[in-house]
Amino acid sequence: MKLGKIYAVLSLLVVFSMLLAACQPSGSDTTGMPETEAPSMTEAPAATEAPAQTSRHGGWLDEIDVSVVSGDSAISQLQAGAIDYFSFGLASDVYPAIKEAGLKTTQSFGSYYGISFNPAVFTDTKTLNPFSDRKIREAMNWLIDRNYVNQEIYAGGSLPKLFTITTQLVEYTNLIDTARSLESKYAYNLDKAKEIIDAEMTGLGADLGPDGKWQYNGAPVTLAFLIRSDGDGTRKPMGDYVANQLESVGFTVDRQYKTSSEAFPIWLGTAAADGQWSMYTAGYIPSGFPRDERALFQQGYLNTSIQAGEPYISNVSDPEFQKLGDDLAQGNFSSPEERQKMMARALELSLQDSLFVWVIDQQTYSPYNNNVQVTYDLATGPESTNVGPYNLRFAGQEGGTMRVGTNDLFTQPWNTVGGSNWVWDAGVMRATTMGTSNAVGGAGLMADPYTGLAYPQRIESAELTYKKGLPIQQNLDWVKVNSVDQLDVPADAWVDWDAKTQKFITAAEKFPDGLTANVMSRVTYPADLFQTVKWHDGSPISVGDFVMSMIQGFDPAKKDSPIYDESLAASIDAGLVAFKGYRIVSTDPLVIEAYSDSYNKDAELNILPLWPASAFGLAGENSWPILAISNMAEAAGELAYTSDKSDLEKVENTSWVGGPSLEILSKYLDQAASESYIPYEPTLGQYITKDEADLRYSNFKKWYANHGHFWVGTGPYYLDKVFTTEKSLVLKQNADFVDLSDRWSVFSEPKLATTVLDGPGQVKVGEEAVFDATVTFKDKPYPQSDIQKVKYILYDATGAVVVVGDATAVADGQYQVTLTSEQTAKLQTGSARLEVAVVPIPVAVPSFTSFDFVAIP
Amino acid sequence: MTGAGIILPLSDQQEFEVTMAITTQPSAEILVIKKTYRERAFMRVFRYIGVRLLTLFGTVVIGIYLTIMIANMGGYVDRIMRNEIRDRITQRIGLSAASQQMDPAVRKKLIEDSIALEEKRVGLNVPIAVRNFRYLSNALTLNLGRAINMTSDSGSKQVRLILLERLPATLLLMGTSQLFLFFSSIFIALSLSRNYGNFWDKFIIALSPTSAVPPWFYGIFLILIFAAAFKVLPFGGMVDSPPPANTFDYAVSVLQHLILPGVSLVLSSFFISVYNYRTFFLIYSSEDYVDMAKAKGLPSRDIERTYILRPTLPNIITNFSLLIISLWTGALFTETVFLWPGLGRTLFHAIGQYDTPIIVGSTIIYAYLLAMTVFLLDFVYVLVDPRVKIGK
Repeated sequence: MKLGKIYAVLSLLVVFSMLLAACQPSGSDTTGMPETEAPSMTEAPAATEAPAQTSRHGGWLDEIDVSVVSGDSAISQLQAGAIDYFSFGLASDVYPAIKEAGLKTTQSFGSYYGISFNPAVFTDTKTLNPFSDRKIREAMNWLIDRNYVNQEIYAGGSLPKLFTITTQLVEYTNLIDTARSLESKYAYNLDKAKEIIDAEMTGLGADLGPDGKWQYNGAPVTLAFLIRSDGDGTRKPMGDYVANQLESVGFTVDRQYKTSSEAFPIWLGTAAADGQWSMYTAGYIPSGFPRDERALFQQGYLNTSIQAGEPYISNVSDPEFQKLGDDLAQGNFSSPEERQKMMARALELSLQDSLFVWVIDQQTYSPYNNNVQVTYDLATGPESTNVGPYNLRFAGQEGGTMRVGTNDLFTQPWNTVGGSNWVWDAGVMRATTMGTSNAVGGAGLMADPYTGLAYPQRIESAELTYKKGLPIQQNLDWVKVNSVDQLDVPADAWVDWDAKTQKFITAAEKFPDGLTANVMSRVTYPADLFQTVKWHDGSPISVGDFVMSMIQGFDPAKKDSPIYDESLAASIDAGLVAFKGYRIVSTDPLVIEAYSDSYNKDAELNILPLWPASAFGLAGENSWPILAISNMAEAAGELAYTSDKSDLEKVENTSWVGGPSLEILSKYLDQAASESYIPYEPTLGQYITKDEADLRYSNFKKWYANHGHFWVGTGPYYLDKVFTTEKSLVLKQNADFVDLSDRWSVFSEPKLATTVLDGPGQVKVGEEAVFDATVTFKDKPYPQSDIQKVKYILYDATGAVVVVGDATAVADGQYQVTLTSEQTAKLQTGSARLEVAVVPIPVAVPSFTSFDFVAIP
Repeated sequence: MTGAGIILPLSDQQEFEVTMAITTQPSAEILVIKKTYRERAFMRVFRYIGVRLLTLFGTVVIGIYLTIMIANMGGYVDRIMRNEIRDRITQRIGLSAASQQMDPAVRKKLIEDSIALEEKRVGLNVPIAVRNFRYLSNALTLNLGRAINMTSDSGSKQVRLILLERLPATLLLMGTSQLFLFFSSIFIALSLSRNYGNFWDKFIIALSPTSAVPPWFYGIFLILIFAAAFKVLPFGGMVDSPPPANTFDYAVSVLQHLILPGVSLVLSSFFISVYNYRTFFLIYSSEDYVDMAKAKGLPSRDIERTYILRPTLPNIITNFSLLIISLWTGALFTETVFLWPGLGRTLFHAIGQYDTPIIVGSTIIYAYLLAMTVFLLDFVYVLVDPRVKIGK
């Protein structure tokens, strides 16, 4: 009996200890953990060595093994040596754990969160909606302490967000003085928020009851707050914090914790005036490197938003903001300067509107071991970085096998017309492609991961011609830019496709009265392009590949086409409105002109180097044989590129890497090879010979026999093996790749500036004062030629902006801020702060530092 | 699930009458009586089978329809999906560079057309009542159809392929762990019931509350210990990445990956399972006829096999049959923790994505398996227990 009791106690102890251990958060004891350090975008990531010169072609690594790894165990797996790099971005709350584990990490922008307000006056007049009052919405900016949210909920790993534009990125940097002034103006101030709310609520007819709660028509003013409890879990504490703040100023908050599926039907699916909700913890994910965010004002605030639903349509904005937002979205400005002014004003007005009050720009982190070198896009993360696979390596080493973990693989079938666009799938596809796949321009260019601009990779020269008056600016010198009064589209340019005759329709045929365009890009490809660039199956790239990709961009939208797909037709037809034509000027060397009415504010991003890559913005390249046999299968009703059509036709969705598609494609490959089939022969017959067709099909068949899939590209790695059920794949180095491995070593790491400000501790009001700013990168002076501007902002004791100005360059990395006697005379006696913002050219992220001093009489 | 109410032993009076009739009538009459008895028995069994099949089918129909209704939340999912589609497409088009300078009217038309197409693709253009009926009729005819959003790992949207692709992994994990659990529990429980009150008996009883902890919880512990700390077993997945090329190495790799999820499944149920069977056997061990057998001096092995195990066979067979069909459902959370590519994870994702065809597909197969098992068990009981008769 005694023994039994001992066993029982021991057993309970075992269970209890397990429970206790399980309740402990991952990582070490939190009570012993030092305060987390807020990672600033000014902090340079861990140093990576500049690669030595090499004779190696293709990727630095011999092999990359990619598999699915749970994000929860990523850090443990890295520590255990099970993987070398976890490429999917983790939320910022893991940042302390990554640092504690002694791992390196990338740092990029992730999703962004804020509070969406119901702006309608409720139909039930007995119920007051305080957020129908713009001033109360504006006051919410003072009520929310974004720094607190960042520190407490996001472990200090994210960025407080005030504006709809991305914090500390391109637009923000361009508007830095306005942005910092507004951030100062709208800094957390509970008293000010309360004061405004009190005044407005009283004006709306509400009374503050003896219990300190607002009453309207004898009932408490209750805010129905939809708080998301799913996702990364951070919106729940954020919502609770905001609810607490609202309660502290007298509101009664009905906290409704809901998942997306529960919240969406109420937030977007009910009329705002019905009053079923007051606030919602909204979240969005950015798409691509945001260099041009002028449309966000219309999209995020105005009733003309393209979202065309609640709560936008119920918002009545200030007429000035309404016009400004619409004009910005529609490009109604004629110069970069005018645009800049409009943006600055819109920033200010958007805060007064505050249909959304933004709270956090999340940063995401992809951890990796210390012997690994990773290049990553500052805006969108490693898996969206086109240059990432080019530079991925073990530091100071050529070759080796790297084990990479990611969140998922093969989420949808892979094809370049309507296939998977999931970031983890696209991340792998990018390793198999030449240059940029879908972020900017085309594959002849490489996207700069730090600025969002682009550089030539497989083009000899580029020329941009645009219509005078368009606000286009040139940033880099590799593109030749000129403007004309009128840009006519040549009569022989291809402007559309006739699926019946299988020929392009020329401008002269479709527009006999002539056609004009806003921009024309003319790209000359290298003279040895067709000798040096090879597909992974060994076939040289050909003009046929280029033309086939052009056709594929039109044909699915034509009802006469056997591959007509209504889900693609909608977007193709919409694109044709701005598209003005292609023209192959020469095939040796290859010179292609592209005409369009659509333009980008950056000249470089208007260059359209056509390439045999996805015409639908997906990652991945397509040789003409794979399109040919996929089209044959689709025309025969056995496969469909898009999920929509496959559902409609009840056939399999085309996959070039696995599943039932492979057998079908193999069948059509045999058929095409036996017939020396040339697709769209009336057109492609001019570019593809029977001999080329035979060679291409023969090589493709060998490829399929050796690798078991149809995914080929021209990039630095080829897809060797695919294991769809096991969720893993193997990439191998493409030794035949045209470029050396160090081709993009210039992007090895972001050249983030570090700034130190020094000066007098006391400044006499009304006297001149001089401060020195030192700007460095890895402890070396930041070259003056690489710095766009150094702004200074002087704040007084209340935190209000007194002066904004430009610092003076003294030498490389040395700047001086001289506060004149007139400027210091504006200071009140007491503490003051000088902030310096350095805007480098090689990275779009500015560096900030500040210096506190005392203003004395 | 012992078939209570349908497995009816002959009453003592009936048994007596039949026996008396056979033993007291002349041979010709005996034959007639036997024939009549056989015919009656045949009709009884036939009638029973008919009624039983109809009842089971009705139960399956109701169960599936309820599943469809729950999966659709009585139509509320339509609202969720419509809003999700609008938000997703608007965001996608709104954020794309190409749409930035589109004429607002063109862009709006593109958005509305895209939304309409997507709603059509997922079937929202068809009234929910019609859709529910289609789901039901397709399910009952085992026409599993196509998933709404999910695809199989190899890219197919056919529900049949999505489920079949994951079946082997689930059968391997669940089969190995559950069969091991079942047989080991029975043998250990028998042993404990023989040695009631000894050290191991008390030890197992003391540990039985640990089964309150779910398997995924054990899984996390096991991962931390054997993968993160000792680095002797993999963190998850079903095979190394990349999978070994030769079959032997592949099998070894799968076995390595199987250990932790398998052990966590076994560990979480082992003690309570042994405890259950041990108690069960103890109850049967205290029957009068067992005491009588003991008093007669029969060897304990014979007592165990003939007097304890045999009467418990219907229960053991029932448990075993249900265990076999439960393999189909997989282990939702354990498979997720270990990234095991099984049916549990598929179902988990399908529920999250409101992919009704997959939920219904998985449920109908389970429902049919369950109905068949229940039906067959009625006959199995007759074979293993002479007291049981069909249809009486």
